Amino acid sequence: MEKEESRTDLGAVRIHKDVIASIASLASLEIEGVKKIGGDLKANIYELLGRKEKRGIKVEIDRNDEVRLDVPLVVGYGFNVTDVARNVQENIQQSLEKMTNLTIKEINVNVQRIEKE
Amino acid sequence: MRFITALALFFYTFVFFLFGGVLIAFALDVLGVQNIYKVVELMQLNMNTKIITGAAGAFLILVSISIAQLILGRFEKEKTIAFNTATGQVTIALQAVEDLIRRLGQHFSGIKELRPNVIASKKGVEVNLRVILQSEVSIPDLTSNLQDMIKTRVQELLGIEEQITVKVHIAKIISYGEKRKKGETSEEITPPYSGYSRK
Repeated sequence: MEKEESRTDLGAVRIHKDVIASIASLASLEIEGVKKIGGDLKANIYELLGRKEKRGIKVEIDRNDEVRLDVPLVVGYGFNVTDVARNVQENIQQSLEKMTNLTIKEINVNVQRIEKE
Repeated sequence: MRFITALALFFYTFVFFLFGGVLIAFALDVLGVQNIYKVVELMQLNMNTKIITGAAGAFLILVSISIAQLILGRFEKEKTIAFNTATGQVTIALQAVEDLIRRLGQHFSGIKELRPNVIASKKGVEVNLRVILQSEVSIPDLTSNLQDMIKTRVQELLGIEEQITVKVHIAKIISYGEKRKKGETSEEITPPYSGYSRK
């Protein structure tokens, strides 16, 4: 499934996976200690093509309309990695619930590298 | 996704198998130069065959990329420390821990170079350090401080309670005196025509 759909009296509201990824990306970057969103080869290709919103974050929506996110991160040196990861998870959850009313099943954070601030 | 990966793997194996078979057939004189020439000629016969050849090339590139990604992804997945939180899982790449240790090594003036290798197992985290030192340092003091600092900081920063073992291997000791002498020599070199002055 590519889009999360909810029905109103007037019709259907669909939220694209890229929108969910963008919200998650912005929510992650709000947290102190997050240097940037990480990514794999595919994400780097997307970035080269100018589609930065697709960078790294994977969004899956299951049959029960529950969202599962994989967030790769690059953390700045000197920050507590565990705290940063937890704060990112909480901020993404809050932002997504506030902006989309989606049910979040899992937010998996993957700290890929540590870089100097 | 798994189906596509399996399909890509199948094609990758098939192409290599075919290529290997052609090479063997060529070596055993089963396949002649003329046969290969005919096939190559057929590839450029008309626009349709050119399109098919080009499409096959593009497909092979895509398959290669997905295979590379699959292999790299697998390695990446294996090399992580993972723990669960209320919201989901947090995985920390061992590469990230190695980055951190490398940065910690910069705090020690006696260390010329530090190469960490982190191994995570059920027993805990093992940090193997390959260090190049400068000669005018106390090796027991420095290594002890280094071990303590890495152990504490890794434990603090990762928030893990597992046992962390830090093994230090001193690979080389660079003579500090020699390096300083070299530095002094280079400073003493005077630029050409330095004795002349403008009047």
